Amino acid sequence: MAMIEKARNVPASWRDEKVDAIHHEGRTKALARLVPAATAAGLLLAALVLPYYMFSGDRRPEISGLGPDAWPSMVLMLLAICSAIWLASEVRLLVKGRISTSLAAPQDENAYHYGKALVGIALVIAFGRLLPVVGFPLACAGFLLIWCVYGGLRNPAVLLLVPTIGTAALLWMFMGLALMPLSRGMGGFDRFSVAVLRLLGIY
Amino acid sequence: MHTIDLLMGGFASAFEIGAFLTVIVGLLVGVVAGALPGISFVNAMAMALPFTYAMDVTHAMLFLGGIYVGGVFGGSISAIMINVPGTPASLPATWDGYAMTRKGQVKRALTIAVTASAVGGLISALMLTFLSAPFATFAMKFSQPEFFAATILGLVSVIAIAKDRPVITLTSLLAGMAIGTVGVDPLYGQARFSFGISEIESGIRFVVVMIGLFAIGEVVDLVATDRDLRPRKSDSKLAGASFSDIWNVRGAIARGTGVGCMIGVIPGAGATPGAVIAYGIEKQVNPRGKEFGTGVEAGLAAPEAAKNATTGAAMVPLLTLGIPGSAATAIMLAAMMLQGVNPGPLLFIMDPSMVYTIFAAMIIANILMIGAGVGVAQVFSTLMRTPPAILAGFIVVLSLIGAYGVRNNIFDVYVCLIFGAIGWAMKRVGFPSAPLVLGVILGPLAERYFLTAVANSRQDYSVFFTRPISATILFLALLFALWSLWPTLKSRIKRQPA
Repeated sequence: MAMIEKARNVPASWRDEKVDAIHHEGRTKALARLVPAATAAGLLLAALVLPYYMFSGDRRPEISGLGPDAWPSMVLMLLAICSAIWLASEVRLLVKGRISTSLAAPQDENAYHYGKALVGIALVIAFGRLLPVVGFPLACAGFLLIWCVYGGLRNPAVLLLVPTIGTAALLWMFMGLALMPLSRGMGGFDRFSVAVLRLLGIY
Repeated sequence: MHTIDLLMGGFASAFEIGAFLTVIVGLLVGVVAGALPGISFVNAMAMALPFTYAMDVTHAMLFLGGIYVGGVFGGSISAIMINVPGTPASLPATWDGYAMTRKGQVKRALTIAVTASAVGGLISALMLTFLSAPFATFAMKFSQPEFFAATILGLVSVIAIAKDRPVITLTSLLAGMAIGTVGVDPLYGQARFSFGISEIESGIRFVVVMIGLFAIGEVVDLVATDRDLRPRKSDSKLAGASFSDIWNVRGAIARGTGVGCMIGVIPGAGATPGAVIAYGIEKQVNPRGKEFGTGVEAGLAAPEAAKNATTGAAMVPLLTLGIPGSAATAIMLAAMMLQGVNPGPLLFIMDPSMVYTIFAAMIIANILMIGAGVGVAQVFSTLMRTPPAILAGFIVVLSLIGAYGVRNNIFDVYVCLIFGAIGWAMKRVGFPSAPLVLGVILGPLAERYFLTAVANSRQDYSVFFTRPISATILFLALLFALWSLWPTLKSRIKRQPA
């Protein structure tokens, strides 16, 4: 409320915008306060539910004494106890209106670009997913090119040299020297990968 | 006197040009392999094994020993520079080492790490030379209950890294242990939590989890915060660690070395529990323990000394009893057996010159490691001058290759990506990821030792408390837990109104 009062002292032309921003910030903070409780609740739920999904289908063993379920059951039970204690303390703080300090988030919230981070994660997942389809040479070069652009590099020479030389060096090191069977891709991509490997003298 | 004579003979053999070069090449291979996340030094040793066919047994052991010594340290280079541990044992190096890098003290951190590692390794190599027999006798008394107790001590020491948040640290550790139960169980071969997916039945590898949690989140953060990891010019006076800096952490190095020698000699324990326990103990003992995690030199030096101290110690049961205590020493055993040499007490009588050449080579390798470590770190330091976008792109590619290389299986890449996304989310909300990784590493070990100990004792659970060494270690674990939790408990008690 004090922040909203403070916002009322600013010029009328952008007062509404400022108040909206403060309300938005308030909502974000309120949601952030729920994160520790939600994490604890999620872990508690997982610890309670997972024992029922330990063995798939009809594979449940019939062993007396310490069977294959003994250790995971014990670990999950302890996990449930710990997350229940954590959840209880979070709920108690929420009820009292206090701010939880259980999770120590990094102090770089103002300088952090969440949109950029999410795009980065999407790029990494896409790279991993496309790796077996298009093969390592193409996926690696494509990923390095897109990642450099995403990272803010615009120099054409850098955008050309980093993916090509980088991919060639990695191929030589891992497929040539360490003989690691990295994916060559499927169909036409396989033929392309083989051609690249022949060009580099690896095949 | 006899031992000194034999050792001098060993030095003479190890300083022959061929042998000397073999150690250096092994060291460089090990440091580079260790520094690359996922391409562990154990993989490098396995890949190097065929090359040893062409060597005699002494050169083969010098080569593999060099990779082993260099690789155990190498993992800390990437841990300190980019917060991605090259090997599981380098995990503690991310806590204070990377914090130093963020302060612009990357060279200082690397100098302290390599010196502490070299000192730890050197002392353990000397221990291997002079105290093999009593340590081998001590190691022989260990069986499944003792292995379980030692693993529990490792798990308990994780509480010490909790920053006044023991419940959340324990939750993270247990979540990791739960992930570690995925796959076939060690006693009955029954698949758990596979959800009908055949690839999951073979389990989730801790290396894959570690790469995902640390590398992906770190890389995304590197770009999303426009962070610059290059050493700052304003910190040039702190560029390298001086002798007084090293002298100031002598206590931490000594304690770390002691812990590493004790843990390393236990077959199956290895460098990771050694480094974690050393960090936990140092956090409690050191006057600056409360500042650990913010870039304290002792927090880096102790686990570094401990993990390299396990190298010489792990060779005690290998050479004296023929028992490999880790994957690395198992490869060394394979190399010896391929050459027709059976390690054990008879080896000291049949071929003492070879044994003492290995001892001398271990001592030399640890001294040379300072040069090799600094050299490779210099190359990595130069790489860090590249724009963060390029650096981050290559870290992603190397990390995914590392995940793939664990079993040459694309499924591991997918697991790595899932844990990458989870790791990023954990980092943003501040949920500790290090205990989770340690849970994934130590949980399966604890399960295997627990089940086999109980099975061997015909379901008698008291076996852990009736055997003196096991009971002592468990008692120490309990004391350590209470010792670690005491500051938190004390502050809670003070806060309570009378």
